Amino acid sequence: MKQLVSGNEAIFRGAIRAGASYFAGYPISPTSEILQQAALYSEENREFRFLQAEDEIAAAIGTISASLAGAKAFTATSGPGFSLMQEALGWGHVVEAPCVFVNSMRVGPSTGMPTQPAQSDLLQIKAGSAGDYYPIAFYPNSVEECFRLTITAFNAAEESLSPVILLADAFLSHLYEIVDLESIKVNVVPRSKEPLGRGQRLFTGTVHDKMGNVKTNDPEIYREWLWEVKDRHDRVAGQYPSFKYLPCRNSETLLIAFGITSRIVSSLKDRFSIFRPIRIYPFLEKELLEVAQSYRHIIVVEGSDGQYASWVECAICRKVMKVPCLGGGFKLKWIENQIEECLKGAGR
Amino acid sequence: MDRSYKELLKLRRFPHTWCPGCGIGAVLKNVVMVIKELSWNNQNTVAVSGIGCSGRMSGYMNLDAVHTPHGRVLTAAETIKTVRPDLNVIVLSGDGDLASIGGNHLLHTSRRNPDITVFCNNNEIYGLTGGQAGPTTPKGTKTLTSPRGEPYLPLRLGRILTQQPPYFYARTTVYHLNHFKTCIREALLWNGFSFVDIISDCIELNGRRLGFKTAHQMFKWFDERFHIVEGEREHLQEDELGIAKAVVEKVPRPIEKVEEKPEIPTEGLKPFTLQELHHFNGTEGKPIYIAFKGKVYDLSTSPLFQGEKRMRCHLAGKDLTKDMDIAPHGEDLVFKFSVVGKLSGERV
Repeated sequence: MKQLVSGNEAIFRGAIRAGASYFAGYPISPTSEILQQAALYSEENREFRFLQAEDEIAAAIGTISASLAGAKAFTATSGPGFSLMQEALGWGHVVEAPCVFVNSMRVGPSTGMPTQPAQSDLLQIKAGSAGDYYPIAFYPNSVEECFRLTITAFNAAEESLSPVILLADAFLSHLYEIVDLESIKVNVVPRSKEPLGRGQRLFTGTVHDKMGNVKTNDPEIYREWLWEVKDRHDRVAGQYPSFKYLPCRNSETLLIAFGITSRIVSSLKDRFSIFRPIRIYPFLEKELLEVAQSYRHIIVVEGSDGQYASWVECAICRKVMKVPCLGGGFKLKWIENQIEECLKGAGR
Repeated sequence: MDRSYKELLKLRRFPHTWCPGCGIGAVLKNVVMVIKELSWNNQNTVAVSGIGCSGRMSGYMNLDAVHTPHGRVLTAAETIKTVRPDLNVIVLSGDGDLASIGGNHLLHTSRRNPDITVFCNNNEIYGLTGGQAGPTTPKGTKTLTSPRGEPYLPLRLGRILTQQPPYFYARTTVYHLNHFKTCIREALLWNGFSFVDIISDCIELNGRRLGFKTAHQMFKWFDERFHIVEGEREHLQEDELGIAKAVVEKVPRPIEKVEEKPEIPTEGLKPFTLQELHHFNGTEGKPIYIAFKGKVYDLSTSPLFQGEKRMRCHLAGKDLTKDMDIAPHGEDLVFKFSVVGKLSGERV
C-alpha cells in the first residue's frame, strides 16, 4: 500500500522490519518523532522495550547494554546528543556490541540553529570518541532509502559486531514521500552475538584478550585486536552498496554530494557528472581515486565547511573545490552560482 | 566452613589487583557467599560494574559480567534487566562512580525502580587515581585535591535514596560482618531497586594520610563512628547502620465522576432538513442554529460567533458533527446550548 511517509517514520519502520526490540532515546529535534513512535509501539507490543532516558549518555549506554543483553537495539539523536553519545560509542566498539545509532544532523556546533539541516557531523562519526576505531556509516537520500539503509545498518552491525551509524539530516527526517514500504523485500541478518547469562565472559571497555582477561600492558594484544576489528569492518562494509555514480558525457567536472545535497544537485545531472557516496565511512578511497582520474575539476557540495572534501583530498592526493552549504542554506540557484564561480576561478 | 562459594570466583586470575587491607575483598567475598547461598549461578545472574578499584569486582566473578564506562553502570544494569527480566542483575561499584559522575543516573534509575541490587563500596575517596576528594569525603578531610581539608559537605546518599517510596537503602560497613551479610541478603531478595551503602576502607590512599597505621585501626574507627540499629526503619541517621525501606501502599484509584447527560428525546422536536438549517446562519438578525449528532442547537447566545462564523472556523447553519474531531474542546460545549430541533431528511 502506498503511503505518505516521513524520513523519521521510514527509519523507525525499517528498524522494526530488521527485528529491533529495544529503543532508548532522549527528545531532540529533528528525531523526536522516532522516540514518540517507539513509545507508541512499545505500548502495543510488549516484547518491544522502550526507555526515555534522562540524557543521551544514558540512552546510548542503554542501547549498547541492551545489545549485550540480546536485543537488537537502536537510538536516534541529533548533533548535540550525538556528542554526548561518543563515550558509549567508543565503549560499543571495544565490547563489540551490534546496534544502530541514528544521527539526524542539524547546524552546529552546540545548539546551533534548531532545526536547520546540515551535514557537519562527519568528523564526529569517525573521531568523536577517544582512540582509534573504525565505524561504519551510511547516509540515505530519500525516504525509501532511509528504510532500506536502516535495515542495512542493522545487518552490517550484526556482521561487524559494532555500533553502526545511520546518518540523516533535518531535511530528510521531515521529508514526506509516497512510498510502499510493505512491499520492499529485504534481507535480515539474524542476531549473531550470544546474549548475557550463558557463561563467564567479561564485557569490558578495557583492552582485553580473547578470553576477556584485562590486559593493559601488552601492545601486541592491542595491535592484534585493532587490526582484526579494522579488517572485519572493511570486509563487512564492502558487502553493501557504497556509492552511486552518474557520469555525464562531455563534462570535465565531477560533483561529489551525498544525502540531501545529492538530491538537490541531481537536477544538474545534464551538465555535470555526479558521484554520491552512500557509505560515508569506511571512506571510499579506491572508488573515488578511480572515478576522479577522468575529471579536470572536482567540486564537493556538502552541508559543512569541507569535512568530506578534506577526506577526498587525502584520498586522491589532489586539491578539490568546495561549495559549503552552511547555516541550512541549500538553495539550488545559490549552489549553481557557487559552482560557476568555482569553475571561473579554476580557469575553465 | 563451607567454601563452595569459590566456584563463583575466577581464582585463576588471583592474586587480585587490590592493595593489602582494602575493604573491596570483603565486599566481593561476602556478596559471592550470599549469592551462593541463594543458589544463583552464571545462568541466571549477571554482574555489572563501573570504573574504579571496585569496578574490577565483576571481572573476578565466574558470571557473565559487564564493565561499563565511568558512571554508567546503573543505566547498563537497568537496561539488561529490562531486556532480560529472567536474569538477576547485581551492580558492584564505588561511591565516586555511582554518586559523582553517575549521580544523574542514580537519581533517575532509582526513580524508575528496576529490580536490581546495587552494592556501593563507599570508601570516601577516589582510590584508583591516587586519593582525590570524592562526593562522600567528609568535610575537612585532607586529600590530594583538598590539601587544606575538603571544603564541602559530603553527599548524603541515605537522604537522596529515601526521599520517596518505594525504596530500599541499607548502610553497613565491612567491619560489622554479620550485619553486612544480612544487608546483602535482604537487598538481593528485595523486589525493586535496592542500594547497599557499604562503608569500606582505603588504607593505602586515604587511611595513612588520616593517620591510621593499619586497616584494622580504620575498622575500629568505623565502630566508633557508627552503631547498628535494629528493626524496621523508614530513615537512617548519618551515624546509624541499618536498613531503611518503604513500599508504596496500594491506594485505590479515585473513581472518576462521570456527569450523566440527560438524554433528550428526539420525538416531538421540530425536524429540520439541511436546507432549512442553512437559513439560520446569523445573518440579517436571524438566529444561529447548528446541527450536532442529529440534533439542532441554538447558538445565538454564543459570544464566539462573529457573523456567521465561530472563531473564523465553524460555519453557522451547518452540521458540525465532524468539526468536533479538529476542535480543541469537547462535546460538552455544545450541550450547554438549548436544543431546538432534530435533523431530518437526506444527509449530504
